[in-house]
Order: sequence, then structure tokens, then C-alpha cells
Amino acid sequence: MTKILNLRTARDLPRWAISLGTTLYNKTGTWRNFRPVYENKIPPCNHACPANEKIQGYLDLIIQSAAGRTSASLQKKYTQAWFLLTEDNPFPAVCGRVCFHPCETACNRGFYDESLAIHNIERFIGDYGLSKKLKLKTKKLKKRKKIAIIGGGPAGLSAAYFLAQNGYRPTIFEADKQLGGLLASGIPAYRLPKNILQQEINAIIRLGVEVKTNVRIGRDKLLENILNNHDAVFIATGAHQERTLNITGEDAIGVIPALKFLSDLNTGRKIKLGQKVAVIGGGNAAMDAARSILRLGKEPIVIYRRTKNEMPAILDEINDAEEEKIKFIFLAAPVKIITMNNKIVALECVKMKLGKPDASGRRTPLPVKDSNFKIKVDNVIPAIGEQPDFSFLTAGIKTTDRGIQTDEFGITNIPGIFAAGDCVTGPRTVVEAIGAGKKAADALIKYLQKGKAVPEAEQDEKVVQFEQLNQNYFEPTPRLWPEKLNIQKRNKGFKEVYQPYSGKEVETESKRCFSCGVCNRCDNCFVFCPDMAVLKKNSYYEYNYDYCKGCGICVLECPRYAISLIEEKR
Amino acid sequence: MKFKIPDKEYLYSGHLACPGCGAALAMRYALKALGKKTMIIMPACCWSIIDGPFPYSSTKVPLFHTAFETGGSVASGVRAALDILGKKNIHVMAWAGDGGTFDIGLQALSGAAERNEDFIYTCYDNEAYMNTGIQRSSATPWGAWTTTTPASKDQPKKDIMAIMTAHKIPYAATASVAYPDDLIAKYKKAAKIKGTRFIHIFAPCPPGWKSLPEESIKLARLAVTTRIFPLYEVVNSVKYTLNHPVADKNGLFKTVPIKEYIRQQGRFNNLNEKKLKIMQINVEQSWKMLLNKVNQ
Amino acid sequence: MMKKARKNRSAFSGKQVISGNHAVSYGVMLARAQVISAYPITPQTQIVEMLSELCASGQLKAKFIKVESEHSAMAACIGASITGARTFTATSSQGLALMHELIHWAANARLPIVLADVNRAMGPGWSIWTDQNDSLSQRDTGWLQFYCESNQEVIDTIIQAFKIAETVYLPVMVVLDAFFLSHTSEPVEIPPVKLVDKYLPSFKPDIKMDIKSSHAFGGLTTPEYNFELKYKMQMAMEESIKVAKKVDRDFKKLFGRGYGVIEPYRCQDAEIILVTSATITSTSREVIDDLRRRNQKIGLLKIRMFRPFPAREVVAVLKNTGKVAVIDRNISYGAGGIFCQEIKSAFGNQTNRPVIFNFITGLGGRDVTPQTIMEIVNYTKKNKYPKEPIIWIGLKK
Repeated sequence: MTKILNLRTARDLPRWAISLGTTLYNKTGTWRNFRPVYENKIPPCNHACPANEKIQGYLDLIIQSAAGRTSASLQKKYTQAWFLLTEDNPFPAVCGRVCFHPCETACNRGFYDESLAIHNIERFIGDYGLSKKLKLKTKKLKKRKKIAIIGGGPAGLSAAYFLAQNGYRPTIFEADKQLGGLLASGIPAYRLPKNILQQEINAIIRLGVEVKTNVRIGRDKLLENILNNHDAVFIATGAHQERTLNITGEDAIGVIPALKFLSDLNTGRKIKLGQKVAVIGGGNAAMDAARSILRLGKEPIVIYRRTKNEMPAILDEINDAEEEKIKFIFLAAPVKIITMNNKIVALECVKMKLGKPDASGRRTPLPVKDSNFKIKVDNVIPAIGEQPDFSFLTAGIKTTDRGIQTDEFGITNIPGIFAAGDCVTGPRTVVEAIGAGKKAADALIKYLQKGKAVPEAEQDEKVVQFEQLNQNYFEPTPRLWPEKLNIQKRNKGFKEVYQPYSGKEVETESKRCFSCGVCNRCDNCFVFCPDMAVLKKNSYYEYNYDYCKGCGICVLECPRYAISLIEEKR
Repeated sequence: MKFKIPDKEYLYSGHLACPGCGAALAMRYALKALGKKTMIIMPACCWSIIDGPFPYSSTKVPLFHTAFETGGSVASGVRAALDILGKKNIHVMAWAGDGGTFDIGLQALSGAAERNEDFIYTCYDNEAYMNTGIQRSSATPWGAWTTTTPASKDQPKKDIMAIMTAHKIPYAATASVAYPDDLIAKYKKAAKIKGTRFIHIFAPCPPGWKSLPEESIKLARLAVTTRIFPLYEVVNSVKYTLNHPVADKNGLFKTVPIKEYIRQQGRFNNLNEKKLKIMQINVEQSWKMLLNKVNQ
Repeated sequence: MMKKARKNRSAFSGKQVISGNHAVSYGVMLARAQVISAYPITPQTQIVEMLSELCASGQLKAKFIKVESEHSAMAACIGASITGARTFTATSSQGLALMHELIHWAANARLPIVLADVNRAMGPGWSIWTDQNDSLSQRDTGWLQFYCESNQEVIDTIIQAFKIAETVYLPVMVVLDAFFLSHTSEPVEIPPVKLVDKYLPSFKPDIKMDIKSSHAFGGLTTPEYNFELKYKMQMAMEESIKVAKKVDRDFKKLFGRGYGVIEPYRCQDAEIILVTSATITSTSREVIDDLRRRNQKIGLLKIRMFRPFPAREVVAVLKNTGKVAVIDRNISYGAGGIFCQEIKSAFGNQTNRPVIFNFITGLGGRDVTPQTIMEIVNYTKKNKYPKEPIIWIGLKK
């Protein structure tokens, strides 16, 4: 069929010009100057996720689950999705509730109609895993190295998970009586139910992680002690030292720092609160405090020195707080807490105006002269930020003004000592702590295996931009928003506000994924090749380079930029 | 949006089409729709070369090369022979370029259409005599460069669909290689009808249009979304149906200004702003007239 | 249905007085052509009208494609023939000229199409009368050509034509004079249907368009192969002289009539031999008979098959005579009479050759009478050598 015909004499020829063979003899691949190659690139969601979750991957698994109509195949794909996700993040049920979802901000669909509700889908997968009691993957204990993790918050637990995955069994030293860090003590139950958190923590501990709670390094044990008794140490102590207002009356009874307030709340301790409670600050702690106060039946007033646009809290939180009709006073700062008979009666504030931008890029708030005003309050809850506690740090570990000094992989200046999370960066988000914990765990493992921590080589990340997609194959589809508890129901306790997706909703929403940079078998390359040089295999495609003329149509018509054109080397 | 087209190929690789050739795709899709029981009658056109030199061929069905102007007449003869020999259920497909349809082949096509001969006539339109080196045809659009209209073509493109429907044939349709499912559906529909069926396929030509090979599908799509080449079908020469939505109501189809289409092709480099405006107006007018026919 | 048709067909058997055009029609009907495609042109119209009737009444089971031009007629025949049907068309003059591109095509495609050409002068000025330029303009295309002297010969040659064509796979042109044959009724013995069926079985080509085995037909052929394909065509042409003779012999055995590829008439001891074709032949026969009665040693050579040119056979007849008077009802402008050229070149390098006179007469339908022939004979007798390369007879100088 592909042979070249040998017609030498008149006798070999047919009576007239009738074909005897096919054009398969003609390897038109020799015409090429460029050749197309299937080359998956980085989806922006994966790239933006601080834990580098394979978001596109598990969305694709959910889409595939839609193809199989049986319940068993559905479950199979959900399970696969859970395992794919937990390769990079052991806390999907947690993050699916509290994460600030930078993936959604980066999602290319956001430039088309509305970004994917990845946050909600992650929650679905996490909850699914918990409901099916799926077990995290791990390797058998093979490495008898002793590793200490100081701090049982998200960074520490994340590191513990990734170490356990690689056959290590670290020990967590936690100062508090429960694990979880701010997840347990800081975030209220209407955002993160405590049993959900506990289940995901337990799943990690069950891998063989040793836990020592109520052990504060620096008080109960010295850091030197830990360093001497372990082969490597990972510091993940977070940032819990609350900043003070530095105003008169701050020492009055009734001034409760935000994290203490939230911690007491989460541990079930009784809190004495008057009716009107001022919350100072614009971050997540302030929002958590204000909304919790509301649920305790009290009246929160949020006072913030800049405007809503500059508030560092997650936008969802701010919007939900507004929805719950919490009162905000913007462009105001407290100057004095007024007490009478040792009780707080009022808070004196001054109006602020925005000046030039400061180091964070936000405009500096400046007090407006003679604009003081008083509001009646019974309590004041400062929530103006935290910083790490360095008091226990010895052994020559360098610090910066933000936290412990490390490179981007968590390596400190002392070999064998690693650090990640809020204790390095200052207060940040849960997922960043998880991602940092993973990176540090990797560096730590390399240190144990090779004697020194070798940072990973920088990869040229080809993150797919929206302009690189071919939009002609997409249809506008509105984003599915999850149901929320109505306001009345919300205020009657600490029930979860956001309701879960149904299976159908998860499918429908996942199908909106553009699968940026990763082939999802849409067949376009096969459909549009004029030379039949794209061969369909079972679940992928292959180029027949014998015939591909390098026209490049497949490259342009791939909706997701998963094909690259490279120079043909001759 | 995923295109579902039949998997089986009726064309071999190794054919001689230029990289990015729209005509090659047109044939590939047409054969996927019609299948093995097809005979192709092919007057002189690009495909006469694409099929491959003697003694090779790239189609898995019989292909009879004929003289330039004889698409309609030879196909008539083939069908007559099949009928008299009692051979049923074989598709006879005349496959011609715009030259062999709009110009030199128009007489034979008109004669055959008037007799309502039983074949499918495909005109794959790359808007010039490409095989002989890019000379103008009556299918060349107004304003385009060709070697015989180096300044620009000053006559509008012939409305071949109007000509064909004037013959009262049972089925006529336009198609574009950027919409393969629509194209294939039309062939499948045509295959079930007896009489003269005419399908006009828009097939971009990178060397002739001075466009990039990788953009052929993009151009074939833009021609439709700019409404320069609308997709529609006419049943019994009276019932007009548009195959894409009229206006963009958050739907798939977005109307695009013709500039998007024009600027991708070097053959329109001579079009200044004034001429572009005229062209846009003409496109709007033709579109309106088509809508009138659809709404009757 | 079949019985009825045959019954009606047998109504046509036996001797009928019919025109040359109708002789063509009946020949085609007897040959059971399956696809006919033709466009009317005077003086061919009766051929297709009669065939239309025969198709419409069901006596001839054929598809009649009423095309819109002669070019399309030949195109349709080509399409039908490659698909495996026995095909026929008829035309004349301007129509044949219009077909010219496809006349080449049919031959190069080795398709056994039969075409009846009613010899009619080319315009302008418009002429409907006979001369041979239209058919002879096609002499280089690879078609066989037979020139008929009588309506009987017409019907017989049509039948023979299909048989020859389907043996050598080359198309065949059967030529008859406008009006002198086409519109003149003569008694014709209609060959019986059963015998024709026996003589000419149904068309079963070894090469055809078939969905069971796909080929491309006629694709781009480079110099690497084209030369040999054309050589094969010439070989087929050369073979077809033998085939034509055999077909004619077989015809004679079955039907009692034979014509040969040439027919020498009273040439045995001739000092002068006239060479004619078509109806001039029958006029000339009378003159020859008359001359022979007066003891003039003058003979007549009828050339029936013009392509392939039966050079050997012609030379064999003419070589021993003193003078040859070729009567051409045609002219190749700038050269001379076409039959004469062929004869001269048939003699080629031979030393043993007669003196050849080229007479041209009857162009544009000018009547060729016994007087005209006598004028030719006298001129030839009187002159040792032709005084001019072309001797115009009957011209009003």
C-alpha cells in the first residue's frame, strides 16, 4: 500500500492512466519546517494555588465521571479526584471552606464569563473523601530518621503529611492542647465546623505521626534540646502575638484581643460580652470576630482606618458580613478607651483620610485634625494583626522584620533547620502555609537524603494566558453559586453558612473548565487535520510525522493551547 | 463544544494539497459523510493534482478525472449508466472548484440542473483559479488581488446559490470547513434526496489568499461569523433555512466586523478604509436579503 | 416487456426503405446502446429524434440524456462509458468541432464510444450541405473512422463499430454524407435482432468505475509514463486494422454482407485508378462501369476505413497502376486533399509508385455528378503529371 510502484516498460502499464496504488508512498512529512507536538502547559489555577494542586486534573476527573452513567463509575472518578487533590493538599474539606481561592482569581474563564467555582468543588471533593473515609496515601516507614515539627498548625501538619508520604514518621510538638493552629482556635465554626477539621487532622496523624501537645518550646523544652535529639527540625510556630493598639485604656477589662476571643469561643469557654462590641481592624480575624459576636446575639461595630477597598480580609468574608448587616465605620481609628468604674463605656476615635501609598501599596491613613468622635461600646476587640514570637529561637537562626529568614524553599541559615508558614511570612493564609509546609518538607527530605538541602531547579513555567486560548469553542455558561443559609438561620447559632454542591452541580460547574494547557480530548486536532496525520489512540492523540506537513492548524484550533509548534530539525 | 464527526477515513495521507488546504478538508469531510459507495467525477481543479499523480491516488473511492468544464455533463452520463445497469444506492458526486462551477463549467452544470440529474454537485470555492496560479474567477470577491486583477477585482462575487436555486433543484446548501458537523449533516441530508443537489463549500487557500496555513480554519470561521459567507440551505429552491443564529443573544454566534476577516489575508492589502466600508455595507445588504428569504 | 420490444423490433426486420439517419438509429437500437446523449444539429436531427422515440416507447432500453450542447453530449458519453454502459452519440460539423476537446479525451481514455457524424461543411457562412472537413479535422485524435457509401453500409457499420470499439478499446466514428445519405431513403436490409445479439454480445468492459475496486482514472501523468501510454494507443490503432477486417468477415458470414477496409472495384489491369470515399464512390462506380464498357482500363478504389489508414492495403492495390486520381471532398488548407496526402505518404519511400493526382471537388455540398467524375478522368488521361498540386474540379473560376 505504501510502496512505490515499479512500472518500467509499456507492458507494465495499464491500458491508460488508471491508478494502481495509493499516495501513502508519498511521505509528505518531508515538507515540514515546523512540527506540532503535544505539550501540556501549566493551567493558571494550578500555578496560582500556593499548594500547586492539580486543579485542572481533578476537574477533568469530575467531568469524566459525568461520562460514566453508573453510580460505580461516578464514585470511581470522585475517588480518583480526591486522591489527585490530596497529592498536594491533605486539607481539601478545610480549604474548600476557608481558602481565599487565588485559583479562581487566576482562572482564565474569568476573562470569558465567570471564573470556575473551584473553591466549592474542592469542598465537595474533600467532603466526599471524608464521607467515604478515604485513606491518605503513604509509604511504609523506611526511614528511621528523627524529625521534629514545632507547631501543629496547617504548615506543620502539611509538612508532617508530606514527610509521612515519603516514609518518615515525624513528631509534632504543639504548645496548645489541640492541633490545628488557627484553624482550630481562630476560625469560627460557621466557616469551618470543628468535626470536619478534626477528621482531616486525624487522617494525617493516622499515618504514624507522633503528637505531643501541651509542649511549648522555649518553656517546656529548649530548642537546643530538640535540635540535638533530632536529625532535622521544622519550625512552624505561626504568628500568634497580637499587636496592641497602644492607646489609653487598652489594659481595661473588656478589651479582648481577637485571637483570644476566637480561641475561647472555639474551645467553648464562656465569654463575658456586653451588648455593643467594637472590633478594630479589617482583616479576617476582625471579620471572624464581628460575625461571631453577631451570632452570640450581640451588636458588633467594625472600625477600620482605611476603606472597604483596602481591607485585607477575604472578599467573601467582607460581603457576607455586609449581608449580615454588620455595621462598619470606615476611615476611623481608635485613640482612647474610656472607662468608668473599671468598665468600658465608650471608645473615642478620630476620622482618617487616605494619603500616599505605604510599603504595602495601600494609601497611608492619616488622622484628620479635630475630627474626634465617641461611640458607646461595652467591649473592644482589637484585631489589627499578629506577628511571630521569636522568644524561643536560639541557635543562631536568623530572622527578618517579618519572621524567620528562609529562602523560598524553607531553608534557614542553619543546616537541618527549616521553617515555613506565618512564622516566616507573617500572617498569611491557610493554603500558603500548606504549600510552604510542602516545599519545606521536600527540602528537608533532600537534606536527609543528600546531606544538604538542594533547592529544586527553577523550571520555565509556561502558564497559559487567556489570549492563548481559542475561545471559539467555548459557550458562555453562567457560574453556579452555592446556596447560603438565610440570615435568620445564620444568626441562630454557628451553623455553616455555605451549603454544599450536589453531584449534578459539581458536574455542571466542572464542565465549565477550559482545561487551559492540558489536552482534554476534544478531538479538534483530529477533526481539522487536512492530512489525516492525527491518529486517535485510546485516550490520547499521536502525530503521524510521516505525513504531517506542519501547517499548524491543529495548534491554532486547539482550544486550550496544549499543542506547541517547534522548529523541525533537519 | 465538541465536534462529532465519523471516525472512518476515506482519504489517504500523502496527498499533494498545500499545508493548510481547505479543499483537502472539504473532501475528507464529504467522503466521511457519503462513505464507500461513492463515485467522484472531478473536472480540472486543484484536486486534480491533490489526488496524486498516476499511478497513485489518495481516495478510497473511484475517481474519474474529466475536462475542466464537464463536471455536470460527465456526472449525468455516469448516473445514466448506473441507472441503466441497475446499480442502485451509489452516490455520484461531481467535485469541482469555483472555476469549473462558476465559469467554464457553468453551462454543463446549468444543463444538468435543469434536467434535475441525480447527483450531488460540490463546488469547493477557494475564490480564484488556484491550480493555474491564482487567476481571477467570477467567484473572486470584490476587492481581492489575483494575478489577473493585480489592482483589485472590480466585480462582485457571482451568487452561485441564486443561480442554482433558479433551476428549481431539490437541495442547495452552503458549508464551511470550519463547521464540519454542519457540513457532514448537509451531505447526509443531500444523500437521501434524488435529483440535483448542490453544495457550496468555502475552502480557504493560503498561497492564493496570502494567508497563513495555520489560519485556514480561522478564516473559514470568520467568513461565516462576518456573514460574508452565511451558512444556509434551500429545500426545493423555496424554503430557506439559516444554519446559525441571527443575532448574538449570549449564544455561540457573534457577529464580527469584516475587518477581522479581511486583514488576515494579503490578497486584500489593497482595500483602503473607503472600500472596506463599502464592502461592509454590501455584506449587510446581502445578509438582509438572505434574512428576507429565510423569513418568508 | 422484453417480448413486446422484440416483437416490435422484428417489425423492422427485412427490407425497409429508410433514410441514412434512420439507418443510424436502427443500427444503434439493434446494437442495444444503453446510454445515448446527443444535441440536435441539422442534418443529424432525425437520428436523435428516432432514437428518442425508440427510448420513449421502450423498444430501446436506454437512457437518453438530452444535453444542452455537443460538448456535454460527448462528456456524458464519456461518463457513461467509463461506468460500463454502451454509449452512442451523433453530431455534425459545428457540433463535432465543439466536441473536439473531448474527442481527444474519449480516445485517450480508451473508451469504446460510437459516434455517427453526418459530414457537413464547417461555417461560417452557415452550410448544411456535405463535405468531409468536419470529420477529417478529428483524424489525429485516436478515433477510428469509417466512411459509408450507402444506407445499408451505414446500418451495418454502426453494428460493426461497437464490436470493433469494444475489442480494441478505441472510439469509432461512422461517417455519412449530409443529405445524400442522411436524408435520402434507400432500401435497407435490417439485420435480424437475434443475429445481431449473437454477433454483438452485451458490453462487459474489463476496466470500469466500480465501487468494489477503487481507482483514479486519468490523473496527472508525468513524462515518465505518458510516452508509453501513447505508444500503447498507437499499437491499439495498428491492431484495429486486423480487428476491423475480422469483424467485417464475421459480419459477412452471419449477415451475408461485407465491405472490407477498402474495396477495389475493377482495378485488375487498370491504368488509372480513381480513389474515392462516401457517396462519390457510388457515383464513380457508374462512371467506371460506363468507361469499362468503352474498354477504358480505369478502376476505382473505395476507401472505407480512413483511420487507421490502411496504408499497406492501399499501396497493394495502387502500386502497379500508372496514375491515381484521388478525389477529395475535403481540403487541408495550406496542404491539399487529405485522402490524397494519406495515400502519398502511404507510398513513402517506395520507388514503385504511380503518379498521384489530387482532385478537390464538392466542397460545401457542391454536387458531384458523373460529369464531374468524367472531367477528373479526362484530366488524368490527358496529363502525364498533374499540372498543379491541387486540381480544382467544378470550380467557377
